[in-house]
Amino acid sequence: MIFFSRSLRYPVLGLILAVFVGVGVASAQDYGSMGISDVVGNADAMLQKGDYAGAIPALEEVIRRTKDLTDPQGLETLQSCRFQLARAFYQRDQTDAGMQVLGDYLKQSPRKQEAMALRMMAQGYFDKGEWNKIEEVAGRLLAMPKLPPEDQLVANLLLGQAEFRQNKWKECIPPLSYVSSNAKDERTRNLTQIMVIRALVESEDWSELFSQIPRLYRTDAKYDITLNLTLMRAGKARFEQSDFIHALLLYRMVLPRGELIGYSTRRVDALSKKLAADVKIGITESERVDRQKEIDEIKDSQKVLTDLPAYEDEVTFRIGQIYADVKRYWEGYVLFDRLYQQDRNSDIGEASMLQSVLILYDVKEVDRAEERILLYINEKPGGQYARTLLSMMMRDNLVKQHIEKVIGLRKYVEAMPATQSPDELQLQADMHYVLAFAYLQNKDYALAGDQFGIILTRYPNSSNLPDARYYRGMSYMLQGNYPDALADFKSYQSQYLGGEHYGASMFREGVCLFGMEKIPQAEIAFTGFIDTYPDDSLLSEAYSMRGDIEAAKDGSDNPNTPENEYDPHTLDRALADYRKAIDKATLPTQAAYAVFQAAKVYKLEFKWQEIVDLMNYYMNLLEDKADVAQAVFWIGQSQIEMGQVNEAVSAYLNAIERYGNEVEQEGIDKIIMEVVQIARDYLSEEDRADMLLKLKFKLNAVPLKDEVLQLRLRAAIAQLEGPEAVGALGNELLSITNLVSMTPVSLAIMCDAAVAGGKPAEMTRIYTYFMEHFEESDLLWHAYRAKTFQKLAENDNDAVLKVIEDAQGLFGAESFMGWAQIIRADTLYKMKKYDEAQEAYNMVMGVPEWRGSLCAEAMYGMGRCRLALDDYATAHTFFQRTYLQYKAYDDGKWAADGYLAAADSLVKLGRPADVVNTLTAMLADPYVNTLPQAEKAREMIKKYKGA
Amino acid sequence: MGKLFFNLMIVGPLLAGVNVGAKPLTAEIVMQGGRSWKGQIVGRDGDWLEFLTGTSDKPIRVGASTLQGLNFTINIDGEKVSDMMRARDFEGVISVISNELVPYAEYGDIPSNLTKYNALLFELYYRTRQYEKSLDISSAIAKDDRDPALREKSRIYQILALIELGRSTDAEALMAQYGWKPDSSEDTSPEKLYIMAKLLVLKKDYNQAMERVAKVVAFHSGDTDWMQPAELLCAEIYTQMGMYDSADSVISQIMMLYKDTPEYDKAAQLKIQIEKLRAEKKLEENLESKEA
Repeated sequence: MIFFSRSLRYPVLGLILAVFVGVGVASAQDYGSMGISDVVGNADAMLQKGDYAGAIPALEEVIRRTKDLTDPQGLETLQSCRFQLARAFYQRDQTDAGMQVLGDYLKQSPRKQEAMALRMMAQGYFDKGEWNKIEEVAGRLLAMPKLPPEDQLVANLLLGQAEFRQNKWKECIPPLSYVSSNAKDERTRNLTQIMVIRALVESEDWSELFSQIPRLYRTDAKYDITLNLTLMRAGKARFEQSDFIHALLLYRMVLPRGELIGYSTRRVDALSKKLAADVKIGITESERVDRQKEIDEIKDSQKVLTDLPAYEDEVTFRIGQIYADVKRYWEGYVLFDRLYQQDRNSDIGEASMLQSVLILYDVKEVDRAEERILLYINEKPGGQYARTLLSMMMRDNLVKQHIEKVIGLRKYVEAMPATQSPDELQLQADMHYVLAFAYLQNKDYALAGDQFGIILTRYPNSSNLPDARYYRGMSYMLQGNYPDALADFKSYQSQYLGGEHYGASMFREGVCLFGMEKIPQAEIAFTGFIDTYPDDSLLSEAYSMRGDIEAAKDGSDNPNTPENEYDPHTLDRALADYRKAIDKATLPTQAAYAVFQAAKVYKLEFKWQEIVDLMNYYMNLLEDKADVAQAVFWIGQSQIEMGQVNEAVSAYLNAIERYGNEVEQEGIDKIIMEVVQIARDYLSEEDRADMLLKLKFKLNAVPLKDEVLQLRLRAAIAQLEGPEAVGALGNELLSITNLVSMTPVSLAIMCDAAVAGGKPAEMTRIYTYFMEHFEESDLLWHAYRAKTFQKLAENDNDAVLKVIEDAQGLFGAESFMGWAQIIRADTLYKMKKYDEAQEAYNMVMGVPEWRGSLCAEAMYGMGRCRLALDDYATAHTFFQRTYLQYKAYDDGKWAADGYLAAADSLVKLGRPADVVNTLTAMLADPYVNTLPQAEKAREMIKKYKGA
Repeated sequence: MGKLFFNLMIVGPLLAGVNVGAKPLTAEIVMQGGRSWKGQIVGRDGDWLEFLTGTSDKPIRVGASTLQGLNFTINIDGEKVSDMMRARDFEGVISVISNELVPYAEYGDIPSNLTKYNALLFELYYRTRQYEKSLDISSAIAKDDRDPALREKSRIYQILALIELGRSTDAEALMAQYGWKPDSSEDTSPEKLYIMAKLLVLKKDYNQAMERVAKVVAFHSGDTDWMQPAELLCAEIYTQMGMYDSADSVISQIMMLYKDTPEYDKAAQLKIQIEKLRAEKKLEENLESKEA
């Protein structure tokens, strides 16, 4: 760079010329003999001609002669000649000599060309690369008063460059900025602006740097390759130092390689053409060299860029990462999407795919994320991130409880290619783990167990291994497979001492032992757990379980006494455990279980007031989390036992009114049934009518919006009014398609109505909803009954038996469950499994609550079984007992059928006289002789009389 | 040349009836074909302009429809306007330009160098939320095809003004009329991506809007005209979506990068708005947790 023009012509001062005018030109060797004015004249003439070599000796001679002068005119001549001599040296490329003369010039006065002298001095230092000296000279130049704009510009350029070269980044910015703003030629403006940007980057003055960006981008300086490389390097450095914001803004300024090379190529072409044209017109060599140098510099930088490994994608990826990191998700997404779309198979393309999906999850565009994941997995099942993405999708759906969706992804899990990569094996195990949990939550316990089993057998290094062991045990346990469950829980305890599920596995061990009816061992296990984990969240349940065990003892098997002596305190211990279970409960359900179990124990001991006290304690303890309806139910029951029927009814009705509009308060449904029962068992006709009236008043007062309460009250009223009202209500409710306001009491009525009406589709609709929403309800057996009848309608005997097995598993031999046993026996009979059917019928006889018509039906059924097995004598006995013992049931139906069947048996036995006797007795029996069966008896008597 | 000469011959005899009451306006008239004359317009009589050439004492009549255009000598202090622009005194700039253009109002139907001032006006009216005015001017210029770049710019502001006025159907119809496809590839120009994003915001389809405007930020970061408004729009949409951290992040960058700009001012306002929204959200959460 040149800071003064070598072609400038500064004539020797006019004053001197005026003094020595008229002097001819002499040769060098003559100067010693010439007068000074001649020498000056000679020098001036040669300078005018551009003969610098010739002018040098003359000027030196003048300086020699005038250097000791002190008068102003002489000094002015001396200084002027020194300046011209320096210039001549510079023109002759004798810069050192010139600088020496300039040094003398600048030390003395007057210095009318000081600014130019300083610029020349700076040029000399510039050529030698002495930046500190340039800085000094430029500083001196800038300190000059009234400096003309051009000198000011040059001084700033000198100073800025010198400081820039010395890495004085902060210092160089002001002078370079001055030049960038004031230079007339575009190239200088652009170059200095680039230097400013570089200095700002190096000095990490981000604020100033970024404020200059808009300005930079309005000029072609943005295409400077060196600048772009600087920005990229700085961006990388900031990124590596986790200074993401600045890294982002730096990276964002970097232009794509193609754009840079395209621009620089066009620039080289334009500059080269212009130079060639100007050379033809005629330019100085130095200008030609300068301009060629500019072209060569661009070419060099182009080469640097071309040789650089591909950086665009990496930069784009990093920018995307930063955007995502600073939560500018969509800005990141579009960049990752571009990288993925432009090359789906490269490492960076696949990584971008992963990042884009992560962002879609962040911005809750889950459908798009999942669509993208499945597209990727279908395209590249062996893709680098296939397992990562699938695992992510499965986990997300599991968390959102989209269980079916998780299960639907199983095919992709199983289609993953084999791998030996530890990371991929971990991911694969993780997917099986998620799948297992989905099955577990879907109550597909066997399938869940299979998936946990896969982890245990195929992925021994999986971090999920301990969990898989524990949860496989849970899967077994929930299937009722207690031995295998126990094995897993024991295995967990032996392998993972102190593991996350260690305490729980101890508790589950007790549960399994209980399930295996190893009651003493179970009790020991629960006690062990209680002693070891006094703060565990399962502690309450352990106390409850142990309480259940104690409560079930009959007093003769005290484990603490080897002699099994009678233990009168089992119920006390049970109650103590239930109390602790209530106090240690971490969930309302735990407390509820214990409190109602305790109530059952008190009930066994007829401790009604204790029940009332316990329920009040429980409601106070849990406040709004208590199952108030159930508690009120128990209080009411106790009050009835204590003869406080009116108080009980009042409490019940209050509870119905207060909590009846809350679907989840299932105790209200129990209360309704209890109210109905009380009305039947304890109230007079008048009181029942009064209660009915009260309920109807309450119903009228319920706002229309309180649909749940309305339905409950209507169910209660119907139940009090009798079976016809219940049936009518059931049929009306079946017309309602939205079941959201239905509670067990209404659903039970609907189930029964569907069964009575022979409507399998309705049965399915209602029992499905009932089972899904109220699996703990005491009235759920109505749903099982409806399901049984729906399966009967399908003639699916196996399914019928399965449903009954489930129902009996839940409700056992409760009074209302006789239907299940009879249908079971009937179904076995239909399946021609006569022995099993007979046994099933026989079981009816063993349940006191089923005595009555069910026993009649069962007795008759046993007879039929024997008959089918051609055991006519035994069959006869069963039929005979039917008509002898169960005459009154079902209006004599079973007795009548028994008579006829007994007669048939006697026919088979070849005892016609007994046939006639039996049927005669039937016709004499007032319970049956008016029934349709009597007509058949008469026909048979005619047939066999006298046979 | 022949045509001009013919016109001058015709109008010459009519000069006696010229209304010369209005202040003469220095102007250059450019005839169809490119020939031009410098002088002063001294008045207008319907389609006729009374034009006083530098060499004649009496004005001649020139048919407005025969002109290619007019170049008025408009005396606006450029430096003052630049200072006002830097100070974001847009209303002031509007006032200066509008006042200066008043004498030229009756020539508004003739193509002239007034267009570039009007282009500045529609942009300034847009910036100052005077969308109806912006729409009026940009719609007029959008019909002038002499300067394709200016026409394109006016179309953009025409559609933007319609969007700001809530007239999304009209905006979409106009886009279709201009043949703009709803393409949102990365090659789509930043202004079109920006407009699409604005339209989607109007339809409350924020994610789709973000995807469009994010492309301006990601792929056109060197575009000094659209980058700033695009970044501001990003912050606004993130705010609408309740993604306050994201909005904060954008606002920080705007305040770092675009000092002394309208976007900086708006970002600062948005920052305050977000603080309020956060406070409200916190209050709601507290109330909810108490109720729970």
